[in-house]
Amino acid sequence: MQDQAAIQVHELRKKFGEVEAVRGVSFEVQSGRIFSLLGPNGAGKSTTISMLACLLQPSQGDACVEGHSIRNDPQGVKAALGVVPQDIALYPDLSARENLEFWGKMYGLRGAALRQRVDEVLEIIGLTERQKGKLGTLSGGMKRRVNIGAALVHRPRVIIMDEPTVGIDPQSRRHILDNVKQLNEQGMTVLYTTHYMEEAQELSDQIAIMDQGKVIACGTNAELVKIVGEMDRVDLSLAGESVPVADCWRETPGVHSLSAQDGHLTLLVEDSNLVLPRLFESAARAQTRITSVAIQEPNLEAVFLHLTGKALRD
Amino acid sequence: MKILDITFKDLKRSFTSVFSLAMMFGAPLLITGLLYFAFGGLTGGGSKADIPVTKVLVVNLDQPGSASTGFAAGQMLVQFLQDKSLADVIAVSLASDEATARAAVDGQTAGVAIIIPPDFTVGATAPDRAAAVTIYQDPTLTIGPGIVKDVVNHFMDAFSGAKIAGQTAAAQLGAHGVAPDPGLAVQAARQYAAWVQTSGHDNTSAVPSLSIVSPTGKAQASSQPAVPIGPIMAGMIVFFVFFIGANGAESIIREDEEGTLARLITTPTSRAAILGGKFLGVVVSLCLQVVLLLAASALLFRIQWGEPATVLLVSFGLVVAAAGFGVMLMSFIKNSRQTGPVMGGVLTLAGMLGGLFTAGIPNLPAAADTVTLVTPHGWALQGWKLALSGAGPVQVLLPVLVLLVMGFLFLTIGTGLFRRRFA
Repeated sequence: MQDQAAIQVHELRKKFGEVEAVRGVSFEVQSGRIFSLLGPNGAGKSTTISMLACLLQPSQGDACVEGHSIRNDPQGVKAALGVVPQDIALYPDLSARENLEFWGKMYGLRGAALRQRVDEVLEIIGLTERQKGKLGTLSGGMKRRVNIGAALVHRPRVIIMDEPTVGIDPQSRRHILDNVKQLNEQGMTVLYTTHYMEEAQELSDQIAIMDQGKVIACGTNAELVKIVGEMDRVDLSLAGESVPVADCWRETPGVHSLSAQDGHLTLLVEDSNLVLPRLFESAARAQTRITSVAIQEPNLEAVFLHLTGKALRD
Repeated sequence: MKILDITFKDLKRSFTSVFSLAMMFGAPLLITGLLYFAFGGLTGGGSKADIPVTKVLVVNLDQPGSASTGFAAGQMLVQFLQDKSLADVIAVSLASDEATARAAVDGQTAGVAIIIPPDFTVGATAPDRAAAVTIYQDPTLTIGPGIVKDVVNHFMDAFSGAKIAGQTAAAQLGAHGVAPDPGLAVQAARQYAAWVQTSGHDNTSAVPSLSIVSPTGKAQASSQPAVPIGPIMAGMIVFFVFFIGANGAESIIREDEEGTLARLITTPTSRAAILGGKFLGVVVSLCLQVVLLLAASALLFRIQWGEPATVLLVSFGLVVAAAGFGVMLMSFIKNSRQTGPVMGGVLTLAGMLGGLFTAGIPNLPAAADTVTLVTPHGWALQGWKLALSGAGPVQVLLPVLVLLVMGFLFLTIGTGLFRRRFA
């Protein structure tokens, strides 16, 4: 089961007028795995999954979900998929239970089977006690959970989650991440998009890093981190103007790449023991005070910086 | 089945929305009710006028004399005033003398005193004489004394006419060399006064001067209120049914913005089923709206909507046209921020053109009625007016057919645009 591809994406492209939002994306998601699409806003993640969910027609290429082509068998794809949209797409004037029942019906569930499954889903998302309250009266985090629940009612084999933790409190975020793991443990294949590196690292069996409509790297967390080799990631904070110092540091021997934002700089360096004194020296010459320094193991942020020359948050 | 699920969901949302309910039922009944109570008091809620009865004291001092050969004009005026047809507005009793009658008016125990002078009969019949009836009234009253004055004037005009007729006849006879009988004027006055009395009060008069019939040839039901509440309510029903039609169709735009439409498209539900379900939801809510408004208005305002088959046909035409119009209108709108101004503007303009706000005004020029037919609202109103007048199903076929054709045309345009938009 786990060696079969639940999702196969081949050279998928999408053009909006003259703008090509997705430029030949290919990847495979094995059954029962969590696969994350990681990238900054505008990288093409949502457009890619909109094509997979049959919301958008691809300009070129094809993809299969559980063996169903998005071009030739969209109904088969839709039946196999559960989609959690980025924004809460529910009816605020219906209760949580009524929402779940309605979406269950849209997948063909009826009667006792529907009621039983809605009970199970309410249990999964932890809202059994609040099932009768109108959705509009629930907190943002609770709505997010119902948003996920609506995609689970029909027991999909594959679930697509488009940035499900955007704009919610840490507690609800934790609950959602635990839900995702729990669903995966039950055998569900999860395609998860996020621009939070920590989420991708925590959840994913495999990660595809996207930027400007392309997959620029794909593999397990360990495989991706290997891309940056033995380099160290150095995070520095400066007091005052950072641009002159950043320009100077880019030219410093041993500095591989640098990203600066709001007085905070992230550098990939070959050997921090050798490079850091040079950085301090040039900062002193530029009369810029370094307020904090942190040397970290390479992570996906470092990989993105290495591959694109910019930070994931840029 | 999914179509029905979508329909049921939309109905549930509509019927739990205070705004929808208010616009669906509250507003049309409230506006019609306000008009009903604002104008109903003046013209009465039924066939009888709601005016307080005025007490009238009559002092008959008339002394006909022997020359009148039994004819007493004063007595005729008393009988005329005491006729039962006037009993709803004046209560006539006799007083013995003028002072008593004036004292009663001064003391407000009577509203009006009528003093018939001693030479009333002579003045009424003799060509060279005149007699004046005195009306003494309570200055605080207006309507009652006015009615009394009109009634007395009516009676006096009859004698004036008789005198003119007698004098003209005498002059013509004299011109032809014939000496008229001196009693001719008295006789003419008697006959003319007798005719006035019967034609003025007797409904079984041989030659009716006016006959009012409805377009179907049936007499108007006497229980219908004098205020044309039926057409006003019909106008309100048409306006608010079109409003709710557009408001229901707006849910497609709202679902698009809320993301639920996109989510629906990610389910194995066809776009045709999604649009079909939403359209059916609009149709069902309009049907419920029409049925409840008809029932409520019949109950509250005693409106008789007409034959059931006719009402059913007109309702069907209205619902189809309103649903189609709503879907088409919303298909031109890009987002929900535009819906308020567009709905308000287009529906109000169409309602005005369709004559919905002037439905209660009688005797509008024929051209105004013709102009209303450029809109579906005008055809719907025409259908309801026919139904209210008691027309049969065949007589409303034209407006109903036009409404159905318009409705399906609007629907085709609207669904075509929506399908292209969400393709």
